[in-house]
Amino acid sequence: MKRLRAFINGADIRRFRFWVQLGFFVLLVYGGYFLINLGQSLPTFSCGFNQPGRAGVCYLLPLQHQTHIPWDSIISWRGLGILTGLLTFVAWLFVFNKAWCGYACPLGTIQDWMTSLRQKLGIRYSTYSLDWFTRLKKIKYILLILLIVIPFLMANSVAGLPTLPEDMGTPFCKICPARMVIPAFTGDFSQWTVDFSTGTAATMTGLGMLVLGIFFIGGFINKRFFCFFCPMSALHSLFSKVALLKLRKDGSKCTRCGDCYRACDMQIKEIADDVESKTLIKDDCMMCFKCVASCPEEGALKASFMGIPIYESTEAGFFKRMTKRRKR
Amino acid sequence: MSAEVKAKQTEMARKQLSRESAQALNKIEKDFPDNPKAMDYFYDLYRRIHCEGEVPHPGKKVIGTTCVQVPEELIYAAGAVPVRLCNGSHTYDQLGAEFMPAKSCSLVKATLGMLSSGLASWLDEGRDIVNVTTCDQKTKSGRLMEEAGYRVHHLELPPSKESEAARTYWQSNVNGFARELGSLTGHKITRNSLRDSIARVARAQQAFRRLHRLRMAPLAPILGKDVFLVTNAYFFDDIDAWTDAVEALNDEVEKRCEEGFAAAQRRAPRILFTGSPPIFPNLKLPTLIEQSGAVIVADETCSANRMLYDAVNVDEWQLYDMVDAVADRALKPCTCPIFISDEDRKRRLLELARTFAVDGVVYQAFSGCQVFEMEQRSISRFLADEGIPSLYVETDYSPDDVGQLSTRIEAFIESLKARRRRK
Repeated sequence: MKRLRAFINGADIRRFRFWVQLGFFVLLVYGGYFLINLGQSLPTFSCGFNQPGRAGVCYLLPLQHQTHIPWDSIISWRGLGILTGLLTFVAWLFVFNKAWCGYACPLGTIQDWMTSLRQKLGIRYSTYSLDWFTRLKKIKYILLILLIVIPFLMANSVAGLPTLPEDMGTPFCKICPARMVIPAFTGDFSQWTVDFSTGTAATMTGLGMLVLGIFFIGGFINKRFFCFFCPMSALHSLFSKVALLKLRKDGSKCTRCGDCYRACDMQIKEIADDVESKTLIKDDCMMCFKCVASCPEEGALKASFMGIPIYESTEAGFFKRMTKRRKR
Repeated sequence: MSAEVKAKQTEMARKQLSRESAQALNKIEKDFPDNPKAMDYFYDLYRRIHCEGEVPHPGKKVIGTTCVQVPEELIYAAGAVPVRLCNGSHTYDQLGAEFMPAKSCSLVKATLGMLSSGLASWLDEGRDIVNVTTCDQKTKSGRLMEEAGYRVHHLELPPSKESEAARTYWQSNVNGFARELGSLTGHKITRNSLRDSIARVARAQQAFRRLHRLRMAPLAPILGKDVFLVTNAYFFDDIDAWTDAVEALNDEVEKRCEEGFAAAQRRAPRILFTGSPPIFPNLKLPTLIEQSGAVIVADETCSANRMLYDAVNVDEWQLYDMVDAVADRALKPCTCPIFISDEDRKRRLLELARTFAVDGVVYQAFSGCQVFEMEQRSISRFLADEGIPSLYVETDYSPDDVGQLSTRIEAFIESLKARRRRK
């Protein structure tokens, strides 16, 4: 047992992650061809527009359909549909928490591949200044509110105002880069278009194409560029405190050397500076556990599942990984 | 002053210096029984360098450093050897006194004394020094070094380390230093050279960490005076030779642990040493502590733990990330009292006190080292609140206060023993 522990704690998390991510990518993007269906409430960008490859649907798509609901129908079977959808979503999240972002999300994986490419080319990454970081990180909450409120305003007239036009439907999907990027992996480029049928449709799909361009540029120079603005990540963070998978920190063992902060793709400063909190899952965290791998202090950071530590920072593991990665 | 008088003075200083070093070494080596065999490497090293005046790195490009915050990985990567100039000699302290105000730090005075004496044979003809703007005295002494004919790179350190602004400021200064190093040595720092030097330093750190951990054993397997000598040798020794020697020592110490060997008395109070750094030949306080029947099991000083403990983590093995990584290592975990906050130092002391089952803390402050003197109140109060007894000692390099100090230290150690018995 002790040797197994030492083996796991000494493992190279990057390599492990690479293969797990690849596995999930194949499953979620091509699983549909093998008749795999994981339902409609996946807490990750398994894009619903990717037909027939998808092995399940990103929860944000049905959510935007479900919130397109008149007031008087909320207390009805349709309202119950919202509730069961949400409960299924929370159930998925309850087990793996935000690791859905760091290990499963196909769009996240694509961004990690772009990062690897940049790294191989020897081009420096860019980061946000702390000021911009705190300002920009609010965007994902605004997007989350909008993607719920807009469909609702399509079905309801508030304060006598006219309802929003029907072609505002699934507003977030219209601007989400996954709608274009993920179907492309099954050879479907039909989403890479601007729909000129109406003014609204043209605006929304045009915005989508713009975001796609920004996604490719931003994702190349910033690590996990899009995740920072992702409303799914915002929705996760509402429930991530109760989930079984946790990132724990023992502040008394922390020297605040900042090694974890250096490794963090999401620029989460608290991972190094906060020595009070026992669990440290910030809203931007994707639970990739690179921080655990880059901590040289015994047991200062650990990933735990139902209170059982599964991956822990150790001095031996730290130096082993450093030596190995240096040689590559 | 005629050249002849000057030469005579230099000769006298040389003799005095070698006598001072020989006496200190003799005390450390001969006054204690059962020194580890592997310590002979280090005793011999000090004998050659300090007593006989041998040059540490003949024929190599040497760059003097004055603080732990200098990222030495960069110097190695540029094909040069860093030598830390922080000095512990009373002879040099006296020589340096003429450059500094009366109430200033012995360490800074001794470093200036060495550099101005003409005896500083550790550097090559280039006389290159990188001076970090840590405390006021070190900052201004960089200017005095220039006046004495040295070429000084002033590496600017921010006065705090928490803010992102401080971090980016420091990183950009270190990047500037890295570029300048390339033109200074004629070897541009490359991806490969920096990767190799990070590996060399990491290997040394691993060796130190192993020694550090071995000292957690309930029966102290090695005395603190020897460990201070070991870490102090890192200032000037060849890094690979040093690492090998420490690993050899580790093997021996590990064997001692297995055999249940105790380097001090079995019930000797365990001391955590903090404050101004003990640097050979000024191991006055550590030696006094261990002669009085206690044993130093851990330290929080920049001549030992703070210098070697924290490790560099690189995310992307490209030059851009590696330089920033070594910069971060030098700044972020540092517990030097020059920073605004003392929180990290307190937490570090508490963690060391706990993991090493420490009975008491000895806090050394060189008189004139304002920052350590100023942190004394808050640290002492903090330790008292945590139930850890501590002794604050203000001293300098002169041997005059040894009698008075030993009385105080013996009393402190007796009180620790009495406290243990009550438990």
